[in-house]
Amino acid sequence: MTSLLTSQNMDGGWPYQRGGPSWTEPTAYALLALIGQRPAVEPVARALRWLQASQRADGGWPPQASVRDSTWVTAVVALLGPIALGRAAHRNAITWLLRQTGEDTNLLMRARQFLMGDSPSHTFPGWPWFPGTSAWVTPTALSILALRKAAQLDNSPQIRARLDMGASYLLAHACSDGGWNYGAARALDYDASSYAETTGVALLALAGRHSAEIVKACGWAQSRLFACQSSEAESWLRLGLLAHGQLPVDNRVSMRIPRTVQNTALALLATAAAQGRNPFLE
Amino acid sequence: MPGLNRREFLQGCSLGPPLGLALAGCARSPRARRESLVSVARAPDYGQELYGELRRTLADHRLNIRGKRVLLKPNLVEFEPDSPINTHPVLVHAAVEAFRAFGADVAIGEGPGHRRNTLDMAEAAGYFRTIPHFEDLFTDLNVDRVSQVQLSRPHSRLKSIYLAQSALACDLLVSMPKMKTHHWVGATLSMKNLFGVVSGGVYGWPKNILHWAGIPACIADLYHALPRHFAIVDGIVGMEGNGPIQGTPKHAGVVVAGRDLAAVDATCCQIMCIDPLRIEYLRLAVGNVDDSMQSIRQIGEPVHRVQCKFDLLPEWSGIRL
Repeated sequence: MTSLLTSQNMDGGWPYQRGGPSWTEPTAYALLALIGQRPAVEPVARALRWLQASQRADGGWPPQASVRDSTWVTAVVALLGPIALGRAAHRNAITWLLRQTGEDTNLLMRARQFLMGDSPSHTFPGWPWFPGTSAWVTPTALSILALRKAAQLDNSPQIRARLDMGASYLLAHACSDGGWNYGAARALDYDASSYAETTGVALLALAGRHSAEIVKACGWAQSRLFACQSSEAESWLRLGLLAHGQLPVDNRVSMRIPRTVQNTALALLATAAAQGRNPFLE
Repeated sequence: MPGLNRREFLQGCSLGPPLGLALAGCARSPRARRESLVSVARAPDYGQELYGELRRTLADHRLNIRGKRVLLKPNLVEFEPDSPINTHPVLVHAAVEAFRAFGADVAIGEGPGHRRNTLDMAEAAGYFRTIPHFEDLFTDLNVDRVSQVQLSRPHSRLKSIYLAQSALACDLLVSMPKMKTHHWVGATLSMKNLFGVVSGGVYGWPKNILHWAGIPACIADLYHALPRHFAIVDGIVGMEGNGPIQGTPKHAGVVVAGRDLAAVDATCCQIMCIDPLRIEYLRLAVGNVDDSMQSIRQIGEPVHRVQCKFDLLPEWSGIRL
């Protein structure tokens, strides 16, 4: 927690790495971690002002203030909810998220895929990292998490439909080895390998759902939990397994040191979730 | 692209600029063909001899780097220290020492394409234990400050692109790729390695906007957008087959270097027994590859003495030299 607080920039945002420029994503994760523990501290207020000032007219957030496009980071900011962000800012963010789909699932691409006999997994529109590009597992999972929270206040058919399609996207992209790669489960006739980070965040986004793919993914995640090569990977796996009640009882202390602000925040969030307070799902 | 014959290829690319590009010049301005020096050094392994070899290489190329900011840009892809997937840390350390010996202020930067935890990956790849004070030298280009660079006469659909400030601000960007086959573009070498200066923090992991805009065209655009460059290719143990991730090790035993990335890549292709005329990004970047290759002055080991056939996926059999 101290490390997080001391790495905040003067402008109120957080960098990925201490001393770097403020970015939206680590700022949102730092806030998510801090709000659950010290909601009244002054750094939180400063960070929220920084975030509020950088929201774009289209309702989304740019990854960095100098960037003139709204991107996936909007989902991470939206996780902060309407109380922190303000009702209008949060609503606009959700509206922006609902407008986003992977370019690979637009009508033209689907027609092309149908004619080429491609995989039906492209039927389900996920979310891209950057507008105008394909859907990928991580931004899809983060958008699902943001919409799940929004649905607690506004359970509209549009949100429910996107949540269902997003979950279908994830399930259709599960790798044969059990978890999730960043995108397709196969490329050029080769099976893609699962990654811990993507598997963890996908499992978290699929909280409350039940399927054979999820059972298999939990097994994969359990087998990799103590062999993670990054703090981020371990945090996402813990969060994902906790979401399905599958975190092993042998819950050893992490040996991985978070090397970025984002990873520090995620480690705090995973710890909080293990203690029964999961800001991603509450 | 593999289906194109040489005549069709040459007919389609006869109007481009020449291959020889000056270190600090404007890459796309038409000019008379200039000699491009490319060195090929034998290097059987990642032993101590590499340190002296790289100093000799820099001396051969007569780089004016005293007091200049040099950014070494290796290729970090995966958490697999025993796979030839990443640029070997000993080669990068040898480059750090060699550039310092010539008076340069050296830093290292990389923005991997699909794994986010760059420092953790560098640790797994052996960079921390091989390069003293690695963390102080290193910038994760994915989360560096960014600048929006307007692309003049782009080959891709992009009009502008967000690039890492460290790569734009340095006096010399040294592309240090692994010599690998690539399932989308045939071969990945010093030009494709420039994808690592595109901001992942802006575009995500992978930097899918480059795929949608056309991978070969984006390689050519980055080559022109970043003119102050040099290449040192890790061809000691490369990767063949289903590269750049799932291929198999291939010992080629060479380090290839030069100021003009296109000339270096064309030379590497020949070493790999790949026809450079059939590599689309080379055609887009330099126009008439065949003509431009005539401008290469190669020193060190002649290509025919170090050639080794890199296995290609069946769909890329058409690029075989």
